[in-house]
Amino acid sequence: MHTGSETAVGLDKSLPSAPLAPTKLEVRDLNFYYNGYHALKNISMDIPEKKVTAIIGPSGCGKSTLLRIFNRIYAIYPKLEAKGSIVLDGENILGPGYSMNRLRSKVGMVFQKPVPFPMTIFENVAYGIRHHEKLSKADMESRVEQALRSAALWDEVKDKLKQSALGLSGGQQQRLCIARGIALKPEVLLLDEPTSALDPIATSRIEQLVEELKGEYTIVIVTHNMQQAARVSDLTAFMYMGELIEFDRTEKIFTKPGKKQTEDYITGRFG
Amino acid sequence: MPAVEGAAPSVDGERIQVEEARARRDSAHDRRFGWLLKLCALLVLAALLGATLVTLTGGWSAFSTYGWHFLVDATWHPDSQHPDDPSTNVFGALVPIVGTLVTSLIALVLAVPFSFGIALFLSEVAPRWLRTPVTSAIELLAGIPSIIFGMWGLLIFAPFFQAHAKPWIDSHLGVDPDTNQPSWIAAHIPLVGKLLEDTRPFGGSVLTAGIVLAIMILPFISSVMREVFQTVPTRLKESAYALGSSTWEVAWDIMLPYTRAAVIGGIFLGLGRALGETMAVTLIIGNSMDLSPSLLDQGATISSTIANQFSEAAGLQKSSLMALAFLLFVVTFIVLLIARLMLRRLAAKEGN
Repeated sequence: MHTGSETAVGLDKSLPSAPLAPTKLEVRDLNFYYNGYHALKNISMDIPEKKVTAIIGPSGCGKSTLLRIFNRIYAIYPKLEAKGSIVLDGENILGPGYSMNRLRSKVGMVFQKPVPFPMTIFENVAYGIRHHEKLSKADMESRVEQALRSAALWDEVKDKLKQSALGLSGGQQQRLCIARGIALKPEVLLLDEPTSALDPIATSRIEQLVEELKGEYTIVIVTHNMQQAARVSDLTAFMYMGELIEFDRTEKIFTKPGKKQTEDYITGRFG
Repeated sequence: MPAVEGAAPSVDGERIQVEEARARRDSAHDRRFGWLLKLCALLVLAALLGATLVTLTGGWSAFSTYGWHFLVDATWHPDSQHPDDPSTNVFGALVPIVGTLVTSLIALVLAVPFSFGIALFLSEVAPRWLRTPVTSAIELLAGIPSIIFGMWGLLIFAPFFQAHAKPWIDSHLGVDPDTNQPSWIAAHIPLVGKLLEDTRPFGGSVLTAGIVLAIMILPFISSVMREVFQTVPTRLKESAYALGSSTWEVAWDIMLPYTRAAVIGGIFLGLGRALGETMAVTLIIGNSMDLSPSLLDQGATISSTIANQFSEAAGLQKSSLMALAFLLFVVTFIVLLIARLMLRRLAAKEGN
């Protein structure tokens, strides 16, 4: 097994000499424990700014767990512990003094299943903004419109902003959740298998949206769909049993992977 | 399976016959079962209708003697020598109606926020090992017979209230009964002085009855809330946390609206119990038929009046008590109606 520093060195070697973009999230020697169970082992990776990074791997490999550390959503449950460091804009988000509120305005998250709040469409988007900013009614309206436009949902909902969000289709609800996330103007957007509950047409709309959003946000997407990772991401990380096996440019991972385990997984030999 | 050529049709025919008979039997069973279920449901309706009719006919002579005055009159003057003489027997339901509504309102105002806190603690905050014992304790509280609450209220809580809470209320919120000196609050906020006027040296009062009622309905409301809070999907709560919400904001903005219908249902379950609760209230409230604006005065509720007087009543008084029982039906019905309307308005506001 690699030690933390070896993994980091190996990672640097396997990355192209000219990096894709400046690093946004610098993960170093990250270990995660769940009730004493060692769920993530010595993860180190540099997630580049304004690119799409996909995390793939078989069920239970720890890919969602890793994503849930990036905004520390795990911290709402007892007995979960992350050790190591994740540096975002020069500060360690795992540090004791880091404000949760600030982290969550910088790092947005979209979950597997679309989960609109039991409110109107407008309120769903405005809700998060209210936690972080005091805006006038007009400013709020333009902010909500902007978020819905970015999420490619505005034209479909502009006449029913006052209706319940629960009346939207699954794909629309998921785009609403993305709008809700980007309404806070985060820097990083975490997508946890965002299309696993959607049909193929809604899925391709979300993928298209990811393509459009990456100019503005650093996107990390967890997916069990390898074609999706190949389609939308610039970099791909392959995880297995709580370890980061390989992390490289997507085309390299899918055409000539450096590790046997990665090759076995993407050619469907296990997982 | 090898079969003789000629025998096959008769085997098939036999099977078809068996299946048809079975289908006929099934549909007959289904029909009878349907009737049985309908009968069960109708039985409830019949009981409700019967109780309404009995109280209405029993109270008819009171209603016809006093007319609408029965609803707004605060006198309750029986004449046991001539129980059927309307000139000496004067009955009005105002005192018990007001008492019923006020005690229930006090109980709700106290019990709802506490229940919300308990339910939130148990479903969100409490460590796992503490959840089961606290939940069982609350369920036990619901199982205590109301006479025990009444005894506790009469023998322990009311004297305690009289000795410790009342003097504090007099000097800080109400009017000092010895010097007639109003407190700052009573002097500056209208009605408070009247509401908390201390005229009689008893612990048992509308307020103490309301407090005991609050403790009695607390387990019902908090169990319902706890159960429905647990049905809120984890992803929904996590989404709100991911936007930067605090635990309080998740509870108030997400969990409460998501479970709104059931929570209101739970509150009205508690209110229904508070409106009809008899034994505990009868022991504590003092059963005074004088109208008083003060919560520290004795009063009466509909059920406490009936419990207290029914065994010795005759003639017009008995009929008036029946009429009171009918009014309790009406009050409960109106309360449920208001609950329905509230739910509908909330739903409209939310955009459904």
